Amino acid sequence: MTAVIEVDGLTRRYGRLAAVDDATFTLEGNRIHGLLGRNGAGKTTLMQLLTGQEFASSGTIRVFGQSPVENAGVLQHVSFIKESQRYPEDFRPKHVLRSAPWFFENWDAEFAEQLVDDFRLPLNTRIKKLSRGQLSAIGVIVGLASRAPLTFFDEPYLGLDAVARQTFYDRLLEDYAEHPRTVVLSTHLIDEVANLLEHVLVIDQGRIIIDEDADTLRGSATTVVGTRSAVDAFVEGREILHRDGLGGLATVTVAGLDAKGRAAASAAGLELGPVSLQQLIIRLTNVSEKEFEHSA
Amino acid sequence: MTTITLPSPRPITSRLRSVMKLHIANPWTTITLPWIILGTIFAANLAIWALIFLNTPESAHADIAKGLQWSGASLYIFVYMMVVAIQAVNVTFPFALGYGVTRRDFFLGTAVQFVTLSAMYAAGLTILATIETATNGWGLGGRMFTAAYFGSDLPWYLQFFVFFVLMLFFFFVGAVLGAVYVRWKATGVTFFLVALGALVILALYLLTLTDSWAAVGEFLAAAGFVGTYAWSLVITAISGVAGYLILRRATPRA
Repeated sequence: MTAVIEVDGLTRRYGRLAAVDDATFTLEGNRIHGLLGRNGAGKTTLMQLLTGQEFASSGTIRVFGQSPVENAGVLQHVSFIKESQRYPEDFRPKHVLRSAPWFFENWDAEFAEQLVDDFRLPLNTRIKKLSRGQLSAIGVIVGLASRAPLTFFDEPYLGLDAVARQTFYDRLLEDYAEHPRTVVLSTHLIDEVANLLEHVLVIDQGRIIIDEDADTLRGSATTVVGTRSAVDAFVEGREILHRDGLGGLATVTVAGLDAKGRAAASAAGLELGPVSLQQLIIRLTNVSEKEFEHSA
Repeated sequence: MTTITLPSPRPITSRLRSVMKLHIANPWTTITLPWIILGTIFAANLAIWALIFLNTPESAHADIAKGLQWSGASLYIFVYMMVVAIQAVNVTFPFALGYGVTRRDFFLGTAVQFVTLSAMYAAGLTILATIETATNGWGLGGRMFTAAYFGSDLPWYLQFFVFFVLMLFFFFVGAVLGAVYVRWKATGVTFFLVALGALVILALYLLTLTDSWAAVGEFLAAAGFVGTYAWSLVITAISGVAGYLILRRATPRA
């Protein structure tokens, strides 16, 4: 396994606010990583730090083994079109497509053209006049067609309709299979991208609260449904992430249910169900907030 | 886990060329439009000169030509380039960083592009000034490219030099203003301009209190018309260095 990004004790402070707070993690090469978190959790700041656009207050960042700050050797392999990316005043999408190959040596013009058709991006309209979805489409097209060894997508689907979003996911997977590279996908809409992700980082209030393989994470919690008394008896002594109830019925999300636990649940007449990544993260985030309140 | 070893970066000349091209990826704003505007102003001036020329007695033509030498018609192009420079730093900079350009490469490539554009505009203006002189003001005694402050009786290479350093001055002062805005936003620009104004006033005070105005006059006289323009290169160079130092620690924000 090869580490493409290694971060140790990374903090970025703005005054008293730590937008990124003591983050330590490693991202392996040739995988799709999800950077998940609520709006304002620190996703964009973290990506700006990883691409040398923002300066760390403390801690170290290694991208391809080197600091990315002002490092042309590293940055020429990095593509990062921000969700709020600004373009030169007079630019139209065709100027973006014209200039991108000057900066990305793996740029595939044919692929870019195909994506322009897929997303029905008007090439000759001023970028200022594009809709939110068309603006996102430019970022997606540059991110995909640049084939940069390290590609960041920052909330790439904002304003895209369901068809266009599906197109993005399909193209990303197809192209990723043919041209393996490291992808970091930041989003606060987790369910839609859950199936793409191989590794998940969850950031909350600047802190990395989950750094886990997506499969491990999916298996890490289970919902137990049944009568209140049976459920209560079963979850006694287990780690409870969430509890819901209606009348005599209860639904409880528990962590780390092994084969023995599953057998016991069946024996007790309880139903077991999977937890979606989104639910899981929402619940884990709540737990961390509670813990935070206790420690404060 | 092991770490990847990277291939060596692209040579700096190739990196700078990419940045230079980025500024003219859409040549409309930086090259096409300024010449169109200049052409329009020229046409309007031509019409006015013709009007004056045809409706005044021949004896008055020499006087009129004297007055026209203070034409400000081609000054706009310098201010326009300052705005181009501000926008190049304010908007193209964040965009270039998204393309994986370092601040250093961006600033160097941009500076080289500014010098190239300055030379291009200076060459164009010099050619127009030469024609203006040769045709005795386009046959109408008009003055637009040989206005007094560009030096009307200079040999072509000094004429070029004056246009060139003027262009450089406006490009690099614009670059500093753009850099201040990117780094410290509107508050920074306000503070910067107020501080600059205070410095100028302070200098005026010092010159007056120490009775040094005569020395300033002597200095400018000694430097001569072209030499005074050459001294503007000092301010241009300071602006260039300051622009880089400011941008070096700047982060693009939404």
